[in-house]
Amino acid sequence: MASETGESIRPRGPYIPWDDLPVERETVAGVATVLPVIVLYVLIAVFPIAFAFWASLHDIHTLNPEWEWVGLENYREVMNIATFWGSLWRGIVYMVGSTLIQLVVGLWMALVLNRITRGQKLLTAVVFTAYLIPTIIVSLVALRVFDPPGGVFQMMGAEWFDLWASQTAPLGSRDWAMRLLILIGSWKFAVFVTIFTLAQLRAIPDRFYEAAKICGANRWQMFRDITLPRLMGIVLVVVLLRSIFMFNKFDIIWQLTQGGPGNATTTLPVLAYKTVYTGQEYGLANAIAVVMFLFLLASAIVYFKLFNPSEEVETTT
Amino acid sequence: MSQKEPPGGIFGLSYDRETEFFEALKLISTAIIVLVGAWPIYWMTQLAFTEYETVENSITVFPTPDIFTLDNFTVITEPEMYTYMFNTVVVAIGTIVTVVIVSLLAGYGLARLEFPQKENFARILLIGYLFSPIVIGIPLYQIWRSIGLLGTRVGLIIALSAVSMPFAVWLMWKYIMTIPEAHEEAAWVDGASRWRGFRDVVVPQCRPAIIAAALFAFALAWNDFTFAQILLPQTDTTTFAPGILRAMGQAQFLPDAYLMAISLAMTLPPLLFAYFMQSYLLKGFQVRAL
Repeated sequence: MASETGESIRPRGPYIPWDDLPVERETVAGVATVLPVIVLYVLIAVFPIAFAFWASLHDIHTLNPEWEWVGLENYREVMNIATFWGSLWRGIVYMVGSTLIQLVVGLWMALVLNRITRGQKLLTAVVFTAYLIPTIIVSLVALRVFDPPGGVFQMMGAEWFDLWASQTAPLGSRDWAMRLLILIGSWKFAVFVTIFTLAQLRAIPDRFYEAAKICGANRWQMFRDITLPRLMGIVLVVVLLRSIFMFNKFDIIWQLTQGGPGNATTTLPVLAYKTVYTGQEYGLANAIAVVMFLFLLASAIVYFKLFNPSEEVETTT
Repeated sequence: MSQKEPPGGIFGLSYDRETEFFEALKLISTAIIVLVGAWPIYWMTQLAFTEYETVENSITVFPTPDIFTLDNFTVITEPEMYTYMFNTVVVAIGTIVTVVIVSLLAGYGLARLEFPQKENFARILLIGYLFSPIVIGIPLYQIWRSIGLLGTRVGLIIALSAVSMPFAVWLMWKYIMTIPEAHEEAAWVDGASRWRGFRDVVVPQCRPAIIAAALFAFALAWNDFTFAQILLPQTDTTTFAPGILRAMGQAQFLPDAYLMAISLAMTLPPLLFAYFMQSYLLKGFQVRAL
């Protein structure tokens, strides 16, 4: 029968009337391939954000399933608690400070790594390790070296440079906690900038530099006219990503200072976390989460409008 | 360029001097990078091999024979610590597998198949970078609790996979676009189905991208603290990062040398990956996958 009607003689599965469906077969297959991503996104992003918004309209005790409708009361409370504005400000200080350091150090490391001839692989491994090792390990080492008895940096700061008193823990001092957090975070995350820019640097063909050399350009001119324009696009993207990531940074702050001393290192993520587990105010914490999300969304939109990094992203090789 | 001055290097140096100057600068930079980059790892290692009483109270720079010990590493065999490490490994493997499979499929679809809203889908993917563990984690805590995923490793794997997704999918998409479609067409001519062509022609050629995506997922899972802290509240299923922090809070006495020893054990896999797989990592980033 099969050969008479001209159909495929290959064995077939259950009959699906592709030609009668209002959609193309390729469309179905295409949507099916991205379906797992969509499901994950809905589960991890759309649903939680919607849930957070819904929960933020209620008064909820963290462990109590009773929800009490309060409307926008939580948002009014968020705007009124003094720690919110302080945390927002400290978050911005942390974000700007660490992003700037990471950008400068990361770019510098990428330029050096790209030009080095001997031991390049080993040096690259050393640099990459900083990004790949878990944050908790960075924190544990930092806690050890800044701890009063036996901490080498604590001793050096106290005795050699006279930065703090000999028995104080700098991570527990109001003056130093935030600065050290920025420095320790930058040690780990500057490598992120390096990885992206190094990949770009490797993609610049050598003939550009050779041509420039023949035309009599010096190194600074080569850097300015060949390297920098090539890097600009990726740098804008990386600055956006790093700012978002640093603004959202919770792990390293919680591990090193838990937001203390007092509120000296409490940024918005830390405040939200404390509100859930110390304050037991789940509804209020969700209101903070929603505010954070809106803030990020707004800054990302502004950034995209200003620089349009997606243009850079969407180019193919 | 004016004819009066001969073309020269910066700061009015001659080319030779300029080159010397740059070589010196490069050497100093390298020294600083090695010093600052390797120092914490060296410090952790040397403390891990020093007797813990010494580590608590004084500063040593090298485990000389009289204070050298391997006893600190016994902490790894403690059932509690062992569980934390085991859970971390399970979560990392689970995340890698999920990310690679899902991103290969989506990358193939985006590169090879036409479907409506494709461009918009790609843009929405980028919004994935806005997923903040804390913003997502707080609502997820109650959601996971109500559907029974709170405190399970599967719940954490799902969350981590979604966070790794934007990078992995972009990477696969761009990478598959660099593979000539003719390879697949040849397979179709020989009677292979689309699925067969994907499995036997595209996937084997994607190896560098798969390794890059896997490395990235590994780094994320191995690194994760925030999601695990919120989503794995019970001690017996938690991963290394929140587990060790809780152990530090609860234990009467947990010497720093023990912490350094277990940290060293957790540092070794990333260290080896960084050394042996860096070319894949850079190759992955080169296709401008974001």
